[in-house]
Amino acid sequence: MTTDFQLPAIDYQAISPLLILFGVACLGVLVEAFVPRPARRRVQLGMALVGVLAALGAVVLLAGTNVVTAGGSVTVDGPALFMQGALLAFGVVALLLIGERRVEPGGAFVAQPAITVGSEADQRQASAPGATEVFPLAMFSLGGMALFIAASDLLTMFIALELLSLPLYLMCALARRHRLISQEAAVKYFLLGAYASGFFLFGVVLAYGYAGSVDLAAIHAAVDTSQMNPALLYAALALIVMGLLFKTAAAPFHVWAPDVYQGAPTPITAFMAACTKVAAFGALLRVTYVAFERLAWDWLPVIGVIAVLTMLVGAVLAVTQTDLKRLLAYSSIANAGFVLVGVLAVGRTGASSAMFYLVAYGFAVLGAFAVISLVRDREGETTHLSRWAGLGRRSPLVAGVFTVVMLALAGIPLTGGFTAKFAVFSAALEVGEGWLVIAGVVSSVIIAFPYLRVVVMMWLSEPSESTATMVAPGLLTGTALGIGALAVVGLGVVPGPVLDLAHDAALFLR
Amino acid sequence: MTVADVLLLGLGAVAVGAGLCVVTTAHLVRAGLYLVVCLGALAGMFLVLTAELVAWVQVLIYVGAVVVLLLFAVMLTRAPIGASGDLDRPGWPGLLVGAGAGLGLAALFVDAYRWTSVSLPDGPDGPGSAGVLGGELFRSWVLPFEVLSVLLLAALVGAIIVSRPDVGASDRGAER
Repeated sequence: MTTDFQLPAIDYQAISPLLILFGVACLGVLVEAFVPRPARRRVQLGMALVGVLAALGAVVLLAGTNVVTAGGSVTVDGPALFMQGALLAFGVVALLLIGERRVEPGGAFVAQPAITVGSEADQRQASAPGATEVFPLAMFSLGGMALFIAASDLLTMFIALELLSLPLYLMCALARRHRLISQEAAVKYFLLGAYASGFFLFGVVLAYGYAGSVDLAAIHAAVDTSQMNPALLYAALALIVMGLLFKTAAAPFHVWAPDVYQGAPTPITAFMAACTKVAAFGALLRVTYVAFERLAWDWLPVIGVIAVLTMLVGAVLAVTQTDLKRLLAYSSIANAGFVLVGVLAVGRTGASSAMFYLVAYGFAVLGAFAVISLVRDREGETTHLSRWAGLGRRSPLVAGVFTVVMLALAGIPLTGGFTAKFAVFSAALEVGEGWLVIAGVVSSVIIAFPYLRVVVMMWLSEPSESTATMVAPGLLTGTALGIGALAVVGLGVVPGPVLDLAHDAALFLR
Repeated sequence: MTVADVLLLGLGAVAVGAGLCVVTTAHLVRAGLYLVVCLGALAGMFLVLTAELVAWVQVLIYVGAVVVLLLFAVMLTRAPIGASGDLDRPGWPGLLVGAGAGLGLAALFVDAYRWTSVSLPDGPDGPGSAGVLGGELFRSWVLPFEVLSVLLLAALVGAIIVSRPDVGASDRGAER
C-alpha cells in the first residue's frame, strides 16, 4: 500500500497576505530574543507596521481573485479580500495605538501577564519601561483573523479561531495600570472563550457526521444528498453559530464583553472591538452563506430573534452605564446586532451592507478608544463618565473628534454610522424582514441617548476639580485619531466608492 | 446483541458514572482519581471500536499525563486533605444545564442514528489501527509532524527559560 507523496497545490500569491502576517509575527518573536532592549520597540513597531501595510498592499493587488487553494483549506474571494483589507486597515490604526509611549510613560503594557498582582515582581514590572511582547502577539492574532475570514473548511476555521483568540486572551492581561481587573478580564475571556471553542468544535464533529466532510462546499452539497438525519445538521449549525456569535458578542453570549472591554488595556480593547468583530462576522457570513445557505429559512427566524435581542440588550444596558469603556462595550454588543440584521438579509446586498457596516463601525470605535486612552489623571485612564464633564472646554480639538465619533456611532447623517445603518436596514427591508428593521430603529433611538449624553456632558458642563486632564496626543495616537475621524466623516459624506467596492466584492466563492 | 455492544454499554455506564462522581465529590483528589476511571473507560471504548492507537494515546496522554498533572497541581498548591466544603456551588443551575445538554445530545444521537449499525472492521487494516495511522502520519503528514515536534521542543526550552529567572541572571551575577 505505497502511495506516492503528493504536494498540495498552493497558490502562494493568493495567500501572500497571510504569509506576510505570520512571517512578521515569527520575526517579531526572534526580535524579542536577539535585539537589545532599548532598540526593540522601534524595530517591533516598524516591522509590524511595514508588515501590515505590505499585507494590505498584497490584498489590494489580489483584488478580483477567486480561488480555493492550499489543499482546499483557504478560499480567496471577494468577501475574504474585502474584509481582510478592512481588518488590515484597522490593524494599522490599532498598532499605532499599541505603539504609543508618550501618553503613558513606557507604554501601556507590561511584559508578563501572569505574575500575582501586588507582588514585588509585579510592582517592578509595572514601573519598568515598556514591554514589546505585545507586538508579535498582536501580529499572530491579526494573522489568525485574516485566516479565519478566508478559511474554507471548518477545521482550518477552528485553528484560525484558536490562533486569533489565544494571543487576545494574553494581551488582555497586559495592562500596566489596574493590573487586577486586567487579569480578571483575561481569565474571564479565556474561560468563556474556551467554552465557546468547545461548542464550535462539537458542531464541527456533528457536521462531519452529517456530511462526511468538514469542507464548507461539501456540507452545502450534502444538505440535499445526505442520507443522514437532518437533526444532526441542525444541531451542527446551532453549535457552530453559537461559537461564532460568542466572538461577535451577540446577546445571549455577550456577558464577557463589558468586563473584558473594561479590563483590557485600551489599545487592545480598540483592537478587539474593531478587528475581532470583522473576523467573527467574516466567518459567520461564510459559514451561513456558503455551507448552510439552503437552510436559510430555518436559521433566519432563530438568528433574527438573536439579532433583535442583541440590539435591545446592548442599547438598553448602554443607557445605564457610567463607565465609558463599559458603555462602548454595550454599544459594541448593540452594533453586533445591527451587523446581524445585514447578515440576515441573505444575498449580495445583505453581505455587502454588513461588510460596509463593519468598516464604518471599526473606524469609529478605534477613534473612540484612541480618545479614551488620552483622558487621564495620576492613576491612569479615567473612564468614569463624571470625570469627563467639561472636557470640551479644556481641549476642544480632541473632544471635537470624540463628538464626531459619538455622533457616528449614534448614526447621525453625514457620518459613516448613518450610511451604514441605512445600508443595513434597507437591505433587510428589500428581502422583507421588516420586523428586524423596526427593532433596529427602536434600539438605535435608545442607544443614541447614552452617546449624546456623553457629548452634552463634555461640552455643556463646567469643568470642575474632578475633571480629568487630556494628555496631548503623541504622533502615533494623533495619526490614529486623524485616520479614525477622517474615515468616519469620509464614509458619511462620500460613501459611494466603499459601498460600490463592498457590493462588487460581496459574492462568496463556493 | 454482540459482545462488542455489551462491552460498549458497560464501559459507557462506567464512564458516565465516574464522570458524575468527578463533579459531585467534595474531595479534590478523589475527583482526580475518578477522572482516571472515566478516561480509562473511554479508552476501553476506543479499544472495542478497534481504534487501538487512539486508545493507547488516550491512556498515555489523558490517564497518564493530564491526571498526573492535575494531582501535582493539587499537591503543589494547598494540598487539601479531606472534603473541601467550598468546592460545590448550589447545584441547581448546573444540574439543569448539564442534564439538559446531555439529554438533548443523547436524544439527538438516538434520533439521528436510530437503527443504523456499523460493522466493526477487524484485522490489522482497519481505519483506526496503528499501522494505517502510522502510515498516514509518516507518509502524507510527515512534514507537519516534524515541524510540530520542533515547535514543541522550542516551547519546552522557552518554558524552562521563562520559569527560571536565574538562568540569564547567573552570568550577570558572576560579573558582579
